[in-house]
Amino acid sequence: MEKLTKTQIPILASYSMPLVLLSAFAINALLVAFQISGGPLRLLLLAGSFPIGFVFGRLIYTRRSHIEIQFDNSTFRVIKGSKEVVTGFWKSYRMVSLVIDQFGKPNLRLYETKEGEHVDLPISRTNAEPQRFRDYAQSLVTGQRPRGISPQVAEAA
Amino acid sequence: MKSSSANEPAVDQFESRLIRGGTRLIADLTEFFRDYRVDDTTFAIYARGSTRNKGFLLSRFFAWTVLPNYSVSLFCVDEGSALLTTEKVRKSVDTVARITKDEDLKWAWLVFFSNRDLPPPIVSFISRYDKKELGLAAASTSSRQVVLSNNQVGRSIGRQLKLRKTEGSDHTWKN
Repeated sequence: MEKLTKTQIPILASYSMPLVLLSAFAINALLVAFQISGGPLRLLLLAGSFPIGFVFGRLIYTRRSHIEIQFDNSTFRVIKGSKEVVTGFWKSYRMVSLVIDQFGKPNLRLYETKEGEHVDLPISRTNAEPQRFRDYAQSLVTGQRPRGISPQVAEAA
Repeated sequence: MKSSSANEPAVDQFESRLIRGGTRLIADLTEFFRDYRVDDTTFAIYARGSTRNKGFLLSRFFAWTVLPNYSVSLFCVDEGSALLTTEKVRKSVDTVARITKDEDLKWAWLVFFSNRDLPPPIVSFISRYDKKELGLAAASTSSRQVVLSNNQVGRSIGRQLKLRKTEGSDHTWKN
């Protein structure tokens, strides 16, 4: 199965920043308790709040908000955090579209019938190139052979 | 692997621009279909949306209080290297007019792409088209000629949809 995923930095930051602040308060309290009141050691120890905050923030982000789309030529699965939120067979759907969400990001929509029930795949939260992934999904839904090119997009360094 | 715009077909480039919000000032297109088939006409792009954009906080409040909520659509036909005939244009116009009526659309855009030069009858037909609920445009990827219909919706294809930019047109055809 191929995977589409991307670390969503703004969400990770929103989880991490309060924890960075909390750990900075905790470290500061310890420094006061141990009477370390100045000098580069204090700054160095306070800077430790960033890695601590980001490690715990990353743990929460991975368990709650990280999106991963797994797919092959017959099935797909959307995993959000530690839960599988959508799963299905490409063949169960009839139409494919790109839907622009409220933030202007394109996501994939699969229709079971024309104008009927649908599921949304949050491809804007992954490294997929929207139009190419839509073309790929459409070729699977309509039963044509998928194009050889992988829809994955190399994450920026 | 990013799509290189230089090698991308004109229709793909046009769609990319629309997805990135190219029509935002006039309408908010929110859903895009490819190879959308209606009867025996296949539209390379079918996009639908409304004149009230969603936005965030202030712009959303502004949209809700000031902008009318009309449904609009965009249709695009890619003729490729086949000859674009008046008959084909008429047929597509009829199909779009029917969809406009069925789906209660305020207006629709219909854009034709062709790899060949635009024949004079097509230029004449499109430039004389003046029904207010349908804007027509035809673009040739070989000669970079762009023709717009003689109505408000048609002219907006040039201004808002930036069709000439997609075509890289440096000489424009004016009504």
